[in-house]
Amino acid sequence: MRADSEAQVIEAVRAARADAAPLEIVAGGTRRGVGRPMQGSHGADLAQLDVSGLSGIRKYEPEELIVTAAPATPLSEIVQALAEKNQRLGFDPADWSQLLGSNGVATLGGAVSADASGSGKLRHGPARDSLLGFHAVNGLGEAFRGGSRVVKNVTGFDLPKLMCGAFGTLAVLTEVTFRVYPRPSHSVTLCLEDMTIDDGLAALRKIGRSALEPTGLAYLPGALLGEAGLPDAGNGAALIRLEGAPQPLEEKVAMAHGLLGRVSARRVEDGIGLFSRIGSGALFAGAVGDVWRVLVAPADAPRVAKDLNASSWLADWAGGVIWLAAPPQDAARIRAIAAAAHGQAMLLRAAPDQRASLGLYAPQPPALAELTARVKAAFDPLSLFNPGRF
Amino acid sequence: MLLPPTDQSIVARRQAIAAALRAIVPDGVVADESGLATFDADALSAYHQMPLVCVLPSTREQVSEVLKFAVAEGIPIVPRGAGTSLSGGALPREDGILIGMGRMKRILEVDYENGCVVVEPGVTNANITKAVEANGFYYAPDPSSQIACTIGGNVAENSGGLHCLKYGLTTNNLLGVTMVLPGGEIVTLGGKSGAQGGLDLLGLVTGSEGLLGVVVEVVVKILRKAPVTRTLMASFDTVPAAGKCVAAVIAGGVVPAAMEFMDRRAAEAIEAFNQPGYPAGAEAILIIDADGVEADVTHDMARITEIVTACGGRAVEATDEKQRARIWSGRKAAFAAMGRIAPDMICMDGTIPRHALPQVLEEMAQLSDHYGLGFCNVFHAGDGNLHPLILFDVMKDGEFERAEAFGADILRLCVKVGGVLTGEHGVGIEKRDLMTDMFSESDLEQQHRVKCAFDSGGLFNPGKVFPTLSVCIEQGHIHAHGGKLPHPNIPRY
Repeated sequence: MRADSEAQVIEAVRAARADAAPLEIVAGGTRRGVGRPMQGSHGADLAQLDVSGLSGIRKYEPEELIVTAAPATPLSEIVQALAEKNQRLGFDPADWSQLLGSNGVATLGGAVSADASGSGKLRHGPARDSLLGFHAVNGLGEAFRGGSRVVKNVTGFDLPKLMCGAFGTLAVLTEVTFRVYPRPSHSVTLCLEDMTIDDGLAALRKIGRSALEPTGLAYLPGALLGEAGLPDAGNGAALIRLEGAPQPLEEKVAMAHGLLGRVSARRVEDGIGLFSRIGSGALFAGAVGDVWRVLVAPADAPRVAKDLNASSWLADWAGGVIWLAAPPQDAARIRAIAAAAHGQAMLLRAAPDQRASLGLYAPQPPALAELTARVKAAFDPLSLFNPGRF
Repeated sequence: MLLPPTDQSIVARRQAIAAALRAIVPDGVVADESGLATFDADALSAYHQMPLVCVLPSTREQVSEVLKFAVAEGIPIVPRGAGTSLSGGALPREDGILIGMGRMKRILEVDYENGCVVVEPGVTNANITKAVEANGFYYAPDPSSQIACTIGGNVAENSGGLHCLKYGLTTNNLLGVTMVLPGGEIVTLGGKSGAQGGLDLLGLVTGSEGLLGVVVEVVVKILRKAPVTRTLMASFDTVPAAGKCVAAVIAGGVVPAAMEFMDRRAAEAIEAFNQPGYPAGAEAILIIDADGVEADVTHDMARITEIVTACGGRAVEATDEKQRARIWSGRKAAFAAMGRIAPDMICMDGTIPRHALPQVLEEMAQLSDHYGLGFCNVFHAGDGNLHPLILFDVMKDGEFERAEAFGADILRLCVKVGGVLTGEHGVGIEKRDLMTDMFSESDLEQQHRVKCAFDSGGLFNPGKVFPTLSVCIEQGHIHAHGGKLPHPNIPRY
């Protein structure tokens, strides 16, 4: 079933509601393999609602730092349009296609619904810090909107936050509005070579706490350096991306050296490309086993990384997220380590049965789980949208 | 302004309710008239209401027990921080328990390695910065009431400040909260990792104006203080030229730390008040801050100066810290300066797309003529947040009502040009009845269902935010009489 307009989405949802027949919401289809496999009612096949026709930039006002687009707009299209005005999305949306081995076209709505924030999230926050407003159709088949088209707004509940990372379980998005950010003209990625986990992550936190406003702080252990194209960087590399106009950028590079007590650090040739592969999980595309993202407080990352003891892993966001590949039988151990560190282990790539039994995140404490269920029901009381996924 | 009708059967049980609360918080129940009078209003001081009883818990367990009791008995709850809300968010109810969070004011942990601080909700905004500034850190959101307002109140209102364009609102600087739900359950949303492992309920709760529960612990991000801040003042012969300059700075790839606009009326009143050196005859003045490392700031200042000149403005950069402070002292005295030229004023708070500024100012001048009342504008131009000040005299028959009608028309104008009713003060009771101007019925119903997911009995801050009653006269706004503001020792800008 296709819906190419808000009116058609309403019609489709009302029909699904009348039949109590849930829907899988699909546009580009690149993230279908994330979360619990979805099921129709009574074991029936799940009908798809294809919203890929809801595409295109509707209004872009560079001088307002605002862009409004239909949700199925390809990420590449919006990134390109913003780049032409030297701007970009703050959450650095990541395309997980390579990691998940999926075909199709990654879309803006998909990136928001999955909160697929990339390495640049470090500077401007995750998707929820950029989504200002949206239009959607809820599970009652009613069109509604949340938020607005201005940066500073506290009128009513902040519903846009809820849409980010909800994996399409609350409503069918029909339009999204973002604040965007200036894109500095130049960037430099420094590589501190032969760094241990502790020293490497300590260096990244130091830069993260400075006023240098870095836009990428990642640590790659020795085992991953070949895959990352840095085969001669020793036992581990700390990567630092700084941005700015050419002259201030050079001064910031010098300041970073000063902070780290170093004379010079190697510059990575294609830092933008490398951080794109880090933020999208592409470095784990060929890794065997399940792929996880473990979110922790940055200073806990060295200890957590050692406890996880994965053969293939990296840390991004100055340690705020650890990506790893691990055999399926390690799942309980990974979840336990994350829980002990008051973090979250998100199962991003795994076989369907593994995803079915583990879910995207660990179960929440009962009071929070019940609250979450009530909030979901406030949007979609019949669980029509992506049932069971998240 | 109408609130849901008072339940007299609750009022009749006042003594028993106070006794029950004393059993939970032995040393923290206020039930005598003079004690309660302290809590009868917030900074929307045109409105007063004595609470049924006020309880001042010291622990999260006490909060939980109080809420369980209130819900079991069907008694409304109104949460309160420092009572600095400009929209009536903490206005008590005659049949409601006011739960004041001021006693929970411990700073629980400062964690520099993770760049965060864990605090109880009654800690003031400024005290968070105070706790970390010796080490070169600060908490970024800076509402003008920051010396008095609490972080719990900031979470409830999603407070902003002068520097949100670059550093965001409260919601962008929070990592987690622990809150007590209306049923008394205690839940933690996020934490030092910021990760929630589910829906972003932290984002939903932030700015929910006390309608969803009571926050008992907050984890906020702290930032390294920028090593360099520089300030530039630009004056323009026309408002559109200044508006064009603001747009050009933004489009030019510069994100200033602050970008403030004053119209001629505001600048002249301020100059007469404390002589910050604003150029005479300018139709519009911008004050622009850039902060960061020396290299970036030098680059940004050069770029901004270029743009100001290209837009026909005259740029003067503060040469030292003293001059910088002087330029800002004027802007920060705007409210007080207006207090000199009119006996009363109300401050509005809407956001507009920046490009609509000339049109909005033009239409506001027409409204001013229509209502026969003066006004002036200060404006967080960087993020489009407009603070028109409406001048009137409450002693003159009908002026207060006209001022409120003028204010409501300004907010409708903000919505008409694609903006919103409130950028940082909140809806509260003040703008509740204008919500239907901005949201459709289905928009509001959706928000209402979310409210019910937390508070099925509708006991949390009833009568605030949502126009559940028939639309009636709009009232409220920050109201100052005879130059005296509510909380006179708090600067307002």
